[in-house]
Parts: sequence; structure tokens; C-alpha cells
Amino acid sequence: MKAQFWGVRGYVPTPGAAFLRYGGNTCCVSLRGAGGELLALDSGTGFCQLGVALMADDFQAGRGELTLLITHTYWDHFLGLPFPGIVHIPGNQLRIYGPDSARGPLEMIYDNMLAPVYSPVFGLAHIAATHSFHPISSEPFQVGQLTVRGMPLSRRAQSPIWAYRVEEAGRALVYITDARYTDDAIWREAVHFARDAEVLIHSAPYLRGEAVRDYGHSRVEDAIELALEAGVRRLYLYHHAPTRTDDDLDALVARCRGELAADGQRLDLDAAREGEIVEV
Amino acid sequence: MFARIWGTRGSYPVARADVLRYGGNTTCVEVRAANHCIILDAGTGMRLLGEALLREPGAPRQLDLLITHTHWDHIIGFPFFAPIYAAGWRLNIYGLSRTRASLRATIANALGDPLFPVGLEDLRAELHFHEIQVGSAFELGPLRVRTAQANHPYRALAYRLESDSDVLVFVPDTGPFHTVLFGDERIEWTGAPGAGNGAEARALAEMRAQVIELAQGADWLLYDAQFTEQEYVRFPHWGHGTADQAREIAEAAGVRELLLFHHDPRRSDAELDAIVAAQRAAARPGLLVSAASEGRLLLKGGT
Repeated sequence: MKAQFWGVRGYVPTPGAAFLRYGGNTCCVSLRGAGGELLALDSGTGFCQLGVALMADDFQAGRGELTLLITHTYWDHFLGLPFPGIVHIPGNQLRIYGPDSARGPLEMIYDNMLAPVYSPVFGLAHIAATHSFHPISSEPFQVGQLTVRGMPLSRRAQSPIWAYRVEEAGRALVYITDARYTDDAIWREAVHFARDAEVLIHSAPYLRGEAVRDYGHSRVEDAIELALEAGVRRLYLYHHAPTRTDDDLDALVARCRGELAADGQRLDLDAAREGEIVEV
Repeated sequence: MFARIWGTRGSYPVARADVLRYGGNTTCVEVRAANHCIILDAGTGMRLLGEALLREPGAPRQLDLLITHTHWDHIIGFPFFAPIYAAGWRLNIYGLSRTRASLRATIANALGDPLFPVGLEDLRAELHFHEIQVGSAFELGPLRVRTAQANHPYRALAYRLESDSDVLVFVPDTGPFHTVLFGDERIEWTGAPGAGNGAEARALAEMRAQVIELAQGADWLLYDAQFTEQEYVRFPHWGHGTADQAREIAEAAGVRELLLFHHDPRRSDAELDAIVAAQRAAARPGLLVSAASEGRLLLKGGT
């Protein structure tokens, strides 16, 4: 399968010249299977850019099919969903997987997001494409030849967060964002979940030494340690902090690669770049 | 009075190479008069304004935020506005009074679980909410503020800010006044814009007259020009207008400079250049036309 980054920024989009090379749109990655299957991971504002690209496809004619895997419903992972033209064309089908919250099911959360105070759509009932919502569970499911697995990363009932693993012909891409490795059990589960993945995309907004206001995000070092412990081949640092310029990210990657080399580790490491296509 | 534009984009923010000059952040404008700071809308541009205020020695610590309406692109900068996390700041937030939810509840429900990791109760700044009406008039420091209704789904406000020497008028979201009449209920879009019945046509004409009256003699009119004419006929139900429509209002109101605003997220800098050139060629002599660009300072004699 082929993965493509459409949004790699965390928290808030960062338009501007200092962010052009890595990109300033928020979280979204597309996956294309060998059989043409189309998946997307998260729908931050990167999803709007993916939507523009898909308009050249079956979606323009109302024959598009997309499976969207939502990790959680914070703005930077979800708020891009109602904007692209593809969701306003009748006939297109979106199958949306994600966690329900103690506040209500995913479908209700999205419907509230489209309420007239927040959106000219006036509610989910008025969005033209067919949307079906599927609460994510630990049971694997198929999208064509792709196998999708979910894993709960946070059991906070109000805002649960899930990770995804997508496999095709024995090769796996694992997507972990906004992880909070608050205890060993979660860490061990995450290591097991990412085991032998070809590609791990992992949020890594800050280093451990950085003093920042933090809502419990794992750090760059966590992403690297997880990749090493799980035997991952390629790690993409993801969900970049809005303060990280292109030059900062270049320096971060150089530093991490230097430390890996000094340790004799063979992990391939890079920072996720908007537009980049990754062969899995 | 002077103003600075921090966000120009409509619908959603965009980070791309072809929008660098006009900017990719959503709607936010700062207005200053006698060390009084008034913020128009809380789009993602507000994050940059917050950083600038924290850097500025002697910046005012009491701020007024005037919200036109609470569609996402107009509020998504709010929790990224750093002063709200610091003690000693006070924010007066003004917005349209609604029957379905208070302004405070609308902002509070956009934050907090399951949509955002921070809730209103986590903020350290002092927040005061003020619900206002279409036609409200009040004073903020040395500025006189007035509102009118814009033609937008679920209704939006337009603002006029006036000092003894300058007038800035902010109409970021409005459809034109010859087709769809928007209100609190959803409009069933039938596929092509057409004039409504006589009562609707009269309501639209009245709304247009009020907007022109609000914009009368403005030094700067920031006005919705999201769509091209071709896009407008396809999407009249979103409640946005075109550059031609914006210019007609500016001409009718005797405005000095029209700044096309609420740029469509797909619109490139080059496309906006072409739209501005066409409007300049069509404009009545004496009307300046530009497209709002992120970072621009509006200062009479200085622009």
C-alpha cells in the first residue's frame, strides 16, 4: 500500500513561509491499497487538501468510497471533515470508524459539530454524501484486502483515543497519535501493537527536555523508544508542534539520526512531510 | 485608530505555498485606538495576535472581542490565543444573542471534551460575555460600535467601528441581497438561486440598505468576496458573496477602500491578484480596491 501525508501538524494549522517544507495543515494521512482501497487516518485540515485532490477522481461523479479512521475527535484530528467538496456530493460514501465518547456516540459528536451555531450545514442530516458511523473496537475488520486493527490508547471516557494498524500482504503501517503512556500496561500494549511494522507514524511534538504546556502528549523520545522496542523499520515523527519551523524540524531529525547512529541502531527516522508518499 | 489584519481566509485555514502573500489563517482583525484593543473575530489569525500582544511592552490587558458569528472559522483561534491562559488579562466577548444557546455555552461547548483538551473553566484570564442584538450601538473606549445583520445562514453580525477620524466596517460573511434570504432556519437549496417571494425580497432590500448605511463613508470596508461569479451560482446556500457584489456595496456606501475578505481556501495569491485587477478596472473613480492580506497595517496616510 501507499501512504501519503496531507497534514502533519498538531494542535493548530500553521500557514506561513517558515512551515512550507514540512507543512502546516493538521493531521491526515491517506492510504491506498494495491486493489484501489482508499482509507484516511484522521481528518484535520489536511483532509481538506486530500478532498481537493480526490475531486479529480470518482468523487467528482458521486462514486467515491472512503473509509475514514478517526483516532479521536479533537479539532486537529476531526474538524476538517465537513469542509471538502467530496462530502457534499450525493452518492459518495464515507464509512467513518472512531471511538464513541461518554458524551455520546461519534455520530452525535459530529452532528453537534455541524449544529447551526457552528456550521452552515445545519446538522449531519443535511450533508449530501452518505455517511455511516462505526464505533471502533479491538475486533479487526477488512477494507478490501486491507486488514484494520484498532487499539485503545487512552481510556479517558470523555475523549478516548485509539491507534490504528493497517496491514496488507503481511506489511503493516501503524498510526499512533496523542498517546499518553501513563502506565506500563499501555506501553506494553503499544509495543505489541506496533510489532514489526514497516512504518510507524507517531506523534512527537516535543522533546522531553522542553518545558511546554502539555496535554499529556508522548515525546519524541517515546516515539523512538517504541519504534526500537517494537522492531519497526521506519519511524515518521508526526503531529509537529506549531512552533517548529522547517529549520527546527531539520535540526531535530539530524539530532535524532545522530543519536541512533551513535547507538548503532538501524531504525530509519524522518519527520513527516506534507505531500510525501510512502511505500509500505 | 489603526488596524492590523491577522487572518483573511474563510471556511478553514490553509497552509500552502500559493497563499503566502494573502495568508492562510482564518478571519481576525485587531483594531487599536488610544491603547484600547478590539479584536474582530477569533479565527486562527488570533493565535498570531496573541503572541504579538505577549511580546508588546505595555500592551493593553483588557481586550474586547467582537464576534460576527460562531461558525468554526470565526472561533477556532480562540483557545490558541495565549493571553487567555495567563492571569491578569480580561476579555470582553461580544456576540449575537441567540434563542437556542447562550454565547458562553456556544464557546464552552466548542471547547472541552470531546472536541478540545481545554475547557472554558481551565482558562486563567477573566472572561465576560456580552450578548448583543442586530442594531446594537455602544462605546468601547474611544470607539463607537454599531451592528447590522449580514445575510448569512443562522444570521451573522456586521460591525462598524468609528473614531473621531476613522471608520472601519467589518462584513466578513454575507451573501448578496437579490437571491437567498438567510435566517435562523436552514434554507432548502433547490439547485438554482432565484428571488424569493415579495416579503423575502423586501426583507433583503431592507437588509442591504442597513448594510450600506453601516458602511457609509468607511475608510476601510472588509467585505465577503469568497466566491467567483461562477462559484456563487453553484453555492448560493453557503451565504457568501462575490467581488462584484462587494464592490457594488462599497460604491453605494461611498467607501474609501474596499478590502476583499474571507478568501476561499482554494483561492491562490495569483487568482486573488487577478480578481483585484478586475475590480480596480471596474471600480468607480475614487474607490480603492485591494484584497485583504495577512499582516497588513491599516493606517490612514500610512497605507
